[in-house]
Amino acid sequence: MIESVPMHKAFEKKIIPYLDGALSKEDLAEFEAFVRTHPEFNAKVKARQEELQLLTGKIPAAVLSPASREALENEMRTSIFNLLREEPEGLFDGLRIRWEEFRNR
Amino acid sequence: MKRNDLFQLVAPLSEQLYRFAYTLIPDDLQAEQLVIDSLNAYLIKEQKQIIKLEFDPKNKREAQKLRRFYFKGLLKYLSDIGIRRSGQLTDQLKDMRPPGHAEFYGLEARVRIVMGLRYDARFSVEEIAEILAIPRYEVIEKLHNGRFLLLDNLLPGATP
Repeated sequence: MIESVPMHKAFEKKIIPYLDGALSKEDLAEFEAFVRTHPEFNAKVKARQEELQLLTGKIPAAVLSPASREALENEMRTSIFNLLREEPEGLFDGLRIRWEEFRNR
Repeated sequence: MKRNDLFQLVAPLSEQLYRFAYTLIPDDLQAEQLVIDSLNAYLIKEQKQIIKLEFDPKNKREAQKLRRFYFKGLLKYLSDIGIRRSGQLTDQLKDMRPPGHAEFYGLEARVRIVMGLRYDARFSVEEIAEILAIPRYEVIEKLHNGRFLLLDNLLPGATP
């Protein structure tokens, strides 16, 4: 067995940057080649992946109720119509803009 | 870009924007207000850029691309305002922490948003750096710190 433990250690340090998408192109190619040629290393990658999943579970996944969602979207609509100026492209477009402004007052 | 088209593009983002706002301020009303304030700031500051973009409602691929563009733009303002607001509410935040997420809210606001962008929304490190206008290495550093502090709570002795 020519492979040395330090080689594994060096690649172990790259697992998290790999999962984070933070490896450079060269490092990524080297890392993927190493994983492909060392199937036993896959277990370490999977263990780290599981750790990250555990972490993701700690990030709150807040959900809006349907009523709150509708209210928020209505407020977003009002903001867009009040704050964004649209240039009319002709008479009818001008009327459309005025009508929309009237509806969203 | 017509106002109604813009609304059609950003309305489906309301849920995700709220989710991010909540990672900064864990209070329903304040998180909703943060979404609206960020949208207002974005519309005022980036008006020219927003209005000049052409939109073809029939082209779904183009719509997806534009929606992502607006999402990133909105997240930029949401992070900026939210981090400042979260700093002002530090004492109140201690009482707001939802059960099961106390460790997460123990992290610095900037670390929380980086963690949310990476592990929840699956943005790349480069995209996060662009959204938060910080160098790439700073994103990696914040991910590392966040992981270390959270994992230390979950699995004492684990390496980040």
